[in-house]
Amino acid sequence: MTTAVTERTGAPAAHRGTVFDIGYQRYDGTREGRGRAWLAVFKNGVRTSLGLGRGAWAKTIPWFFIGVLAAIALVIAMLAGRFGPEAYDELVSHADYYPFFTTIIFVFAAVVAPELLCRDRRENVIHLYLVRPLTGSDYVTARWTAFFAVLSAAVWLPQFILLFGFSMGHPEPVTYLRENWLDIPRFLLSGLVFAAYITMLALLTASFTTRRAYASVFLVGLFAITTPFTFALAAELEGAAGQWVSMFNLTQIPVNVNDLIFGEVNAMTAEMEIPTDALPSWVTVAWYLGWVLVPGGVLWLRYRRLSP
Amino acid sequence: MSGAAAPAPVIRVDGVSRWFGDVVAVSDVTFDVMPGITGMLGPNGAGKTTLLRMITGLADVSTGTITVFGEPVRDNPPLYRRIGVMSEHETVYGFMTGREFVRTMGKLRRVEKLDDAVDRAIEFVDLADAQHRPMGTYSRGMRQRMRLAATLVHDPELLILDEPLNGADPRQRVHFQRLLEHLAAEGRTIVISSHILEEVEQLADTVLLIINGKLAASGGFRAIRAALNERPYHVRVICDAPRKLASAVVTLESVEAVNVDPDGAVVVLSRNVRDLQVELPRLAQAGSIRLRRVEPLDDSLESVFGYLVER
Amino acid sequence: MGPVYVLTLRQLFSRWRLLIMTALAAFPVLIAFVMLHDGTAPSVGEFESVVLEGMLAGAIIPLVVLAIAGAAFANEVEDRTLANLTLSPIPRWQIVVPKLLASITIAAPFIALSAFLTSHVGFVGDARAVAAVTAAALAAVALYSSAFLWLGLLTTHAVAVGLGYIVLWEGIFSRFVGGVRLFSIRHHSIALMHALDERRFAAASHVGSTAAIVAAVVVFSAFVLLAIRRLRRMDVP
Repeated sequence: MTTAVTERTGAPAAHRGTVFDIGYQRYDGTREGRGRAWLAVFKNGVRTSLGLGRGAWAKTIPWFFIGVLAAIALVIAMLAGRFGPEAYDELVSHADYYPFFTTIIFVFAAVVAPELLCRDRRENVIHLYLVRPLTGSDYVTARWTAFFAVLSAAVWLPQFILLFGFSMGHPEPVTYLRENWLDIPRFLLSGLVFAAYITMLALLTASFTTRRAYASVFLVGLFAITTPFTFALAAELEGAAGQWVSMFNLTQIPVNVNDLIFGEVNAMTAEMEIPTDALPSWVTVAWYLGWVLVPGGVLWLRYRRLSP
Repeated sequence: MSGAAAPAPVIRVDGVSRWFGDVVAVSDVTFDVMPGITGMLGPNGAGKTTLLRMITGLADVSTGTITVFGEPVRDNPPLYRRIGVMSEHETVYGFMTGREFVRTMGKLRRVEKLDDAVDRAIEFVDLADAQHRPMGTYSRGMRQRMRLAATLVHDPELLILDEPLNGADPRQRVHFQRLLEHLAAEGRTIVISSHILEEVEQLADTVLLIINGKLAASGGFRAIRAALNERPYHVRVICDAPRKLASAVVTLESVEAVNVDPDGAVVVLSRNVRDLQVELPRLAQAGSIRLRRVEPLDDSLESVFGYLVER
Repeated sequence: MGPVYVLTLRQLFSRWRLLIMTALAAFPVLIAFVMLHDGTAPSVGEFESVVLEGMLAGAIIPLVVLAIAGAAFANEVEDRTLANLTLSPIPRWQIVVPKLLASITIAAPFIALSAFLTSHVGFVGDARAVAAVTAAALAAVALYSSAFLWLGLLTTHAVAVGLGYIVLWEGIFSRFVGGVRLFSIRHHSIALMHALDERRFAAASHVGSTAAIVAAVVVFSAFVLLAIRRLRRMDVP
């Protein structure tokens, strides 16, 4: 009879009891494989880049940069709203945004990206990753993808703010969007172009040293030092020679592709009178791809030969 | 008639607390350290390292005072002439040879007749053969020993060692213990922190038990055990008639409880071990029971520790 | 002081670092050469703004010094070996000053040579201009070294802050906000360069040479004192 009551209500009867073994238990669940491990490294890479799950100080630096980029876009959006479409030509457009702010984006990558690779090698934690069903190349592709995702989101955010500002500033936002909708895929693609390039160079540099500080300084130095003279020289020598020299400016490489995507020379490059149409466009694209794929190959090989 | 003045404590810690934001790492700790070997014991995260860093002046206190040899230790560089510290971090300058490392430390600590002191220190830790190799090539045990040599090169009166036996193999452990006993016999004061009970039990005259940032107990561990008088002692008796003995023992006033283990040992819980010491042989004789073994089960630092952690 | 100095030299010395610094130091010299010999000689203003102010003062000097002086204490803090130095019975300034001198010893020769050769090529052997540029470059090395040495003690993110200062504060903000120049080492050193050779840089000079030198000494000493104070009061890992 008591059993019947128990079955009806589902409550355990008072005269029955169970003792649970809460000591160490072996894991009996499913064991997922390489893909899951890759995903875990990816997620960890995203969290590290954004400083999530670590102290407040770790968050300050990445979010400061994201904040600066967004704030500037916000200011431009507000100016667009205030002054309307007549002023749009004077303001920084979608095509101009990335070239104008390459410096900030580079410094962001220089400071944050080495965190992803240098720390693990310095503290020898990399070996803990490699004893899992994860190869060295898996590890580095996961880290790369993580930072690429973060950087893409960071550079897209201000563009969306700009879009919002430009469309709301227009007396008929829907018309504006209908006329200019092409800007959206363009800035998305251009953002990916920048993000891929910068991520690759930053991580490649980070793979050569275990101290984050040196990687960061080297990256900034690379960009800061090549910039002034290549521009001056390129403006001097005109034509194809000048354009080639400008292509050795590491900040200019993705900017040229950006210009191709938007079909116009951006305001910054135009102001510096650097020759931009002396070389066929496929050269620009091939050059860009070379600067992404060759470092990518080197990065891949460096990590492939790591073993636990 | 007054007796001789009590010797001044080497280290005096008075009402010291340290917090990091909302986390209290060390909470209102007061104790004195006298010459000899003092062991600082506690679980990981108990606050031992923070306390030691404050005693060595590396970290500041939030409240309270710490004096070493009667002087405040913080921002008092000349005091370091008399103190030798070995921190828990094992990093060394890998590019230096062992001898160079000890020599540099000796120079920094203004040692006179430097080369002799360096030789002595390296001899003491038995690394004369390896002294000209870069420290980056040393095994872990060798690194620890060379670090100890660097800690000793200026002949300090006070030695503070934070987890010095981390990762040491049994042979190194014995060797190290002998070194420390030798140093203590010379009249030095040694404070050694560890979470390994056996080490501290064997080495230390006095023990400081740090749990959750508080000083849970101090003194000789046997004395601490006696002071924990709400816990009865467990004494294990192996005899040839356990149940007969058990029924006899349970009649004693001083005995709280008697258990008979599945393997036939009798475990007696008693608050008055002295009484038990007298009565047990008498009971055994009266009942013609042969006692094979009588041992205290919780007369070790481990059990003291366990009780205190549980409280 | 000696052991700390030698120790720091050994810590900061590495073959790769020397190679990179040599390459960096050679760069502006090459550029100056190319600029002058490619036919259309640039004006003093252009040479000065692009090569001297842009490349040398704006990028090479601060970045090289950040990598060296910034690392002098920061590496020890990161590696947890700073206690080896602070647990010695020596006054704290005898730890800070040798570290600073060692950093300057490594960075200064490269920078000085680079500045000397670049200005020699650019100003075609004008002795006073060359001396002004070299002296200003050395002053910049000293100022940045003291500032970044202190920064290395202040935070584990010394490099991020240093880069932000160099690129954002000195690079970008100073272009828009004039007052920033008062708090910019780059502009102090450029002002010093102008002050030391007024005939050539008269148009740009706003500050007398004595004032510029005094300001440099004051700033340098201030950072050194800040570093000593920080070492005394910080929790050493």
